[in-house]
Amino acid sequence: MSQKPLVEVKNLTVSFPVSGGIMGRKVAEVKAVDGISFSIGRSEIVGLVGESGCGKTTVGRAMINILKYIAPDVEVGGEILYHFDGEDVDFNKLHPRRMRKYRSRVQMIFQDPYASLNPRMTVAQIVEEPIKIHLNLSDEERRNRALELLEKVGLRKDQSGRFPHEFSGGQRQRVGIARALATNPDLIICDEPVSALDVSIQAQVINLMMDIQKEFDVSFLFIAHDLSVVEHISDKIAVMYLGNLMEFGDASQVYHHPKHPYSKALLSAVPIPNPKEKNRNRIVLKGDVPTPMNKPSGCSFRTRCPIAEDSCSEEVPKFELYAPNHWLACPIVKDN
Amino acid sequence: MVEKNKVEEQHLSILQKRWLKFKTLKRGYYALVIITTLYGISFLLPILINNRALIVSYENELYFPIIKGYVSGQTFGQDVPGEAKYRELRKSFKEDNTGNWVLMPPYPYSPFEDITTDGNKMYESPSGKHWLGTDNTGRDVFARLCYAFNISISFALILTIINYFLGIFIGGSMGYFGGKFDLFFQRLIEIWASLPMLFVIIIISSIVKPSFFLLIGIYTLVNWIGMTYLIRAEFYREKAKDYVAAALSMGQSDVKVMFKHILPNSLVPIITYFPFSVVAGISALVGLDYLGFGLAPPTPSWGQMLDVGLQNVSKWWMVFSPVAAQFLTLLSIVFIGEGVREAFDPKVYSRLR
Repeated sequence: MSQKPLVEVKNLTVSFPVSGGIMGRKVAEVKAVDGISFSIGRSEIVGLVGESGCGKTTVGRAMINILKYIAPDVEVGGEILYHFDGEDVDFNKLHPRRMRKYRSRVQMIFQDPYASLNPRMTVAQIVEEPIKIHLNLSDEERRNRALELLEKVGLRKDQSGRFPHEFSGGQRQRVGIARALATNPDLIICDEPVSALDVSIQAQVINLMMDIQKEFDVSFLFIAHDLSVVEHISDKIAVMYLGNLMEFGDASQVYHHPKHPYSKALLSAVPIPNPKEKNRNRIVLKGDVPTPMNKPSGCSFRTRCPIAEDSCSEEVPKFELYAPNHWLACPIVKDN
Repeated sequence: MVEKNKVEEQHLSILQKRWLKFKTLKRGYYALVIITTLYGISFLLPILINNRALIVSYENELYFPIIKGYVSGQTFGQDVPGEAKYRELRKSFKEDNTGNWVLMPPYPYSPFEDITTDGNKMYESPSGKHWLGTDNTGRDVFARLCYAFNISISFALILTIINYFLGIFIGGSMGYFGGKFDLFFQRLIEIWASLPMLFVIIIISSIVKPSFFLLIGIYTLVNWIGMTYLIRAEFYREKAKDYVAAALSMGQSDVKVMFKHILPNSLVPIITYFPFSVVAGISALVGLDYLGFGLAPPTPSWGQMLDVGLQNVSKWWMVFSPVAAQFLTLLSIVFIGEGVREAFDPKVYSRLR
């Protein structure tokens, strides 16, 4: 199995300049993503977890290359190398005009189903839009394809003329999924797709996404902060803290035998619906997350790490292979 | 078929819903109906209020001076220099009783004919003949008032629409592209906005005699800025929403994202501001005309009528007419604006109902 993965992210950095003074000079920068590397294989689901503000969403948006539209001053470094069938494309170096062609290959599902659908368009129009851009179909065929997709995500045909505000949050998220599927993408980036939904709806949507992943044979990057959801759906899990990857590996490995002290703390906070385990040892971290404008030297986690040593402040720990399919950014765990 | 209609009815876009809500706000809705009807009718003024006959039947031949324009008096055997005097012609045809006849417009006075034409007197007080009297040069006040209504509304509408186009295009680009482009244009606009615009208008119109469209052009130079601010802010806000990110990530072009996605969602301030912008346009024209820097003199205009009226305050009809016309027009448009604003308010219950 020496097949190339679908996408390799190599040393990705994203920084937002903070300007100040009369001339709007750059006085500081926020390193939202600070050199992370991971890869997603074909039809693989990778979960990306971390607490709020650690840069998960920024990674997702960098991977579909839309950060520059949202924040024109942003600086993106590193490589986002996609291996489509026979074509290797680095999204970060691609000219915007040539980019358009590849947009159909990578799609996104957004966190907020209320904001991610244009309130002035009917759901049929919403799903038809990407088809119109990328596939050369007649009006009739396009319409049929959109209806087919809407049925696949569990909406009725006669609902296709409705506007987003006539649907519930779960139904809207289904429309978002149908839209992402419309161009037969290779990768769908799901940016906390269920965190805005009721718990009862979350399970439905998650199961729908898993069915669709199997049916369409598509890869997912599943960004979330809910670890139990991520464990349920993912093949691999990446743990992120303050712009850095802490741990990356097979889901069962990372979830059941986390090695990095941050992963351990994060996982010990997951509620377990079993009263016998209520006395289990929880790791409660000290202090707050430092601001990404002024990160600690060396390992970014050392200020809150229970096993930190003096050497941790000296250099940024390398993200290294710890075991087969298991990467880790902690030299102390590795040495023991 | 009936059932299908029923299903369709449930899915109204937001704008359709708002239109239905606007219709329930009686004051604004009726004001809109009245103003649009009057404005529509005002385009027919040349056949309603005019001193040219619609049809003249002279020796078994039909003439249409309203279409043809200038027809000399001799054509109809009238002993006058220049154009035929149709009101006299009608009188003389009636007296002669030879089968010739003249069909005049319902109100047979033109806004331009002064004491030099037949039988007009200065400062005539309102009567069945001149409904609102005549002014200092013997022109019929009512005729001028009606023509000025058309000119005022047209001026304000065209001005507002041009401003909107500029505002949406420039403001929208600023909000959408942001960054350096926005920064540069903002400074440019600030410099432009700091020019004393009333003086600029006065200087320009004292050099060239402004025509209708030139005046719109000059006034646009001043007025487009306000709209850019509104649209820019609106685009800035909408751009940050996820549906724009979704459109971009599916490879939609900038122009389409701007005009297909963001613009329809930025319509609230654009539409609610529209009636008030028209009010501002009408007031601006009145102001300029009053000061004498507006449309060139013979053109009927409320500002000029007000100016003349104030010089002859004792002739009440000359002051009262333009003030009342202006007041009623502006009031109705403000009612429309109020209704529109209310219709766009997401709250269900309204104090205007």
